[in-house]
Amino acid sequence: MLECSQLRVCYQEGEHALLAIDRVDLRLEPGRVLALVGESGSGKTTLARSLLGLAAKNARIDGALHLDGEDLTHLSEGDWNRVRWRRIAMVGQNGAAALNPVLSVGAQVAEPLIVHRGLGAGEALAQARTALAAMGLEPGLARHYPHELSGGQIQRALLAMALILDPQVLILDEPTAALDPPARKFVGEVIREQRRRGKAILLISHDLDSCRRLADTVAVLYLGRIFEELPAQDLFAAPRHPYTQALVRSYPRIDAVRDLGGMRGDAFYRMVHVHDRQAAEHAHTIGSDDPRETGHAPEQGCLFAPRCTQAQPACREEEPELLPVGEHLLRCRRGGIVNLLELYGVRKSYAHVTALAPVDLQLRQGEVFGLVGETGSGKSTLAMIAAGALAPDSGKCLFAGREMEDWLRQEQTALARQVGIVQQHPALAVSPRLDVFEIVAEPLRIQKTAGMPESLRERVARALAEVHLPNAPEFLRRFPQQLNQGTLQRLCIARALITEPLLLVADEPTSALDPSVQAKVMRLLLDLQIEKGLTLLLVTHDLGLARKVSDRIGVMHAGNLVEVGNAAQVWQHPGHPYTRELLNASFDLGDSDELHL
Amino acid sequence: MVIDSRRRLGNGRLRIGGGLLALLLAAALLAPWLSPYDPQAMPFVPLSLPDGSHWLGVNDAGMDLFAELLYGLRNSLAFGLVGGFAALALGVAVGLMTAWYGGAVDAVGMRLADVLLAIPLVMPLLLLAVLAPPSPLLLALLLALLSWPSTARAIRAQALSLRNRPHVAAARQMGGSTFYILGRHLLPELAPLFLAGLAGKIRMALAMEVSLAFLGLFEPGRKSLGQTLRDGIQYYYLDIWWHWLLPPLLCLSLLILSLTLLAVGCEALFDSRLREG
Repeated sequence: MLECSQLRVCYQEGEHALLAIDRVDLRLEPGRVLALVGESGSGKTTLARSLLGLAAKNARIDGALHLDGEDLTHLSEGDWNRVRWRRIAMVGQNGAAALNPVLSVGAQVAEPLIVHRGLGAGEALAQARTALAAMGLEPGLARHYPHELSGGQIQRALLAMALILDPQVLILDEPTAALDPPARKFVGEVIREQRRRGKAILLISHDLDSCRRLADTVAVLYLGRIFEELPAQDLFAAPRHPYTQALVRSYPRIDAVRDLGGMRGDAFYRMVHVHDRQAAEHAHTIGSDDPRETGHAPEQGCLFAPRCTQAQPACREEEPELLPVGEHLLRCRRGGIVNLLELYGVRKSYAHVTALAPVDLQLRQGEVFGLVGETGSGKSTLAMIAAGALAPDSGKCLFAGREMEDWLRQEQTALARQVGIVQQHPALAVSPRLDVFEIVAEPLRIQKTAGMPESLRERVARALAEVHLPNAPEFLRRFPQQLNQGTLQRLCIARALITEPLLLVADEPTSALDPSVQAKVMRLLLDLQIEKGLTLLLVTHDLGLARKVSDRIGVMHAGNLVEVGNAAQVWQHPGHPYTRELLNASFDLGDSDELHL
Repeated sequence: MVIDSRRRLGNGRLRIGGGLLALLLAAALLAPWLSPYDPQAMPFVPLSLPDGSHWLGVNDAGMDLFAELLYGLRNSLAFGLVGGFAALALGVAVGLMTAWYGGAVDAVGMRLADVLLAIPLVMPLLLLAVLAPPSPLLLALLLALLSWPSTARAIRAQALSLRNRPHVAAARQMGGSTFYILGRHLLPELAPLFLAGLAGKIRMALAMEVSLAFLGLFEPGRKSLGQTLRDGIQYYYLDIWWHWLLPPLLCLSLLILSLTLLAVGCEALFDSRLREG
């Protein structure tokens, strides 16, 4: 068992240092695969290399490292040589570069046997051939030189080399990144096989789907710190940290529901400053949207806060601990992804028509929730209740943990500031008597938050720029009937977002638009959702659209929310007969009754 | 709202109506300066025909008819404006309130309107003027109190459809107060309706004043277009129609024409949908 605790790695550059790994605790247990995921630059490779004692010259490593109770922390380079390959082996990123171009592949795979086991060259080569064969490579390939091999073959040769001394711990850094699907599948099988044989495996990968399939546990690294450690089966289904959720959303999935969503902002690396040898060092992050990045103020609060969709002021003050939440370990002051909106037993009827049977709905902060259903199923009613624009007959509504009634009674404008609405028919959603400027400025005027006229002008200009509309005086003086539908809808989006809301309720925002304009408006909406970290409640009758853009989908039928789940799950394994019917209907235009998936 | 001044001037009806009304208003306002004589003084030869010093001649009591016309116009127009605006304000207020609040407010407001619509306007005013002659101002307000229902009904009907518009819902969701929404979203939409209504109300009040004066229900010394007509009609057998009766009738007609033109012109101005471009 390989175990590191409070591992910290700095790359020293004069008085400054790049803080790559910050107080990381990890355990690699026999027969278990731990996957390490995170954006580029999060420190994954540095972590892997420091577990092997392979640190760059300018690296400073602190913390403890134990292999089966043996302290590796202060091992000399000579002692490390007895540990590397024999007990801990690694397959590095960028395979071809790891091989010596002037030696044949067979000779290189045999080399550890000769160096570590003292075997003769002939016997070593024979064993190397067997090992290569076990990796599905022809024995003849042993005579070839690295440049004569394909990427997949090199990866297999490297695996053969790493496994040839039968080490206890195997570290794989992006073993599948450059491979085609068959080769990737083979590497996956090798990892499963080695896990069965009781090896402790650390798998570093961008490929979240492989991690989910191959690993037991996934650790999520951000800027050198672990933010979540979760069972692999929860990676797609139930990530708890907003960062994990955002990573999952960015990943291109084969069962493509919402993907390539990305994450707002960037973070590149953390600098440690030691201005005075006596003074304590302090770190700050380069590239986050934080004012601290220019100053040398010590880093405070959660590292992810500048990019987080649910950061609160307190998140920027104190760094949270990595604490157990259920089966996960989580570094989040708010206990992971929170619900922005909670509806319990909400009911509404008009005259004698029941629009909404008691419905429960929770919206997680930062997610896109697609509410689908046919016309008259009550989805608009539910959306307007969610926005606080319609009072339910009974039931409980919580927005940001506080009763909606409370908000409406005491701080209606504060609630209105935090909720934006985009309606179906943009031409009706704006007053024909107001010009462009007044339409966009209206929420600020109503809520009297505008302050000076110049700042009102600035904010309107910014809001228009965000939706890619011009800011020319002639445009600002136009009236709605002089604009086309797509422009109007973008205007409505600008109006909804000018108060910087947390929740955006979009009721059929694109159904009145033609397909090309629909695509543009939808993309704009999703980009803004990512960049602003919005929670988006998207009401639509278009299941195809909902599937492409939603994190989760809710299906409404006759005033009931009959199914709620991850977009992929609802799409592939619809649980309710009505969902299946809806799916069929969206495929079937009357010429077939089959469901094609 | 931004109004392009070139468009405003380019609107023919508005220009003619506005010019005409401005002229008549100026004449009414500037009566003390324009008038060559004190309208109440009667030092002249009664029933003299127009000449250089008396443009419209002299009436039977020896008063200058031109001075009488100016002051009559002043009083009639004032009565018309006060009565018209007051009736409009009441009608718009009641119409908006009943449409917005609905329920009991709506029921009470509309039943009251029904009752008032069933009463011919002239009757109560006539009775009042005969039994306890009030001041003309009070009478104008009283007229407004009786004549708001038609405006209120029109406003209510339109406001009922407007209140459910998505942009009104959006403004409400943004936290807009009732006052804000009524003022910014409903009133501008209703402007053409009540501007046309305003012209009608002023016309009605004007006609009412002239009629009551013609019937002799104001104090006899009070100048009014109606009073001038009443005085003149007694001498119908003399050849006085062209200098005594025609000028007040012409004034009245021009007033009503200018108001109508203004109303139609305003409608086009305020409704951006009717504007070209």
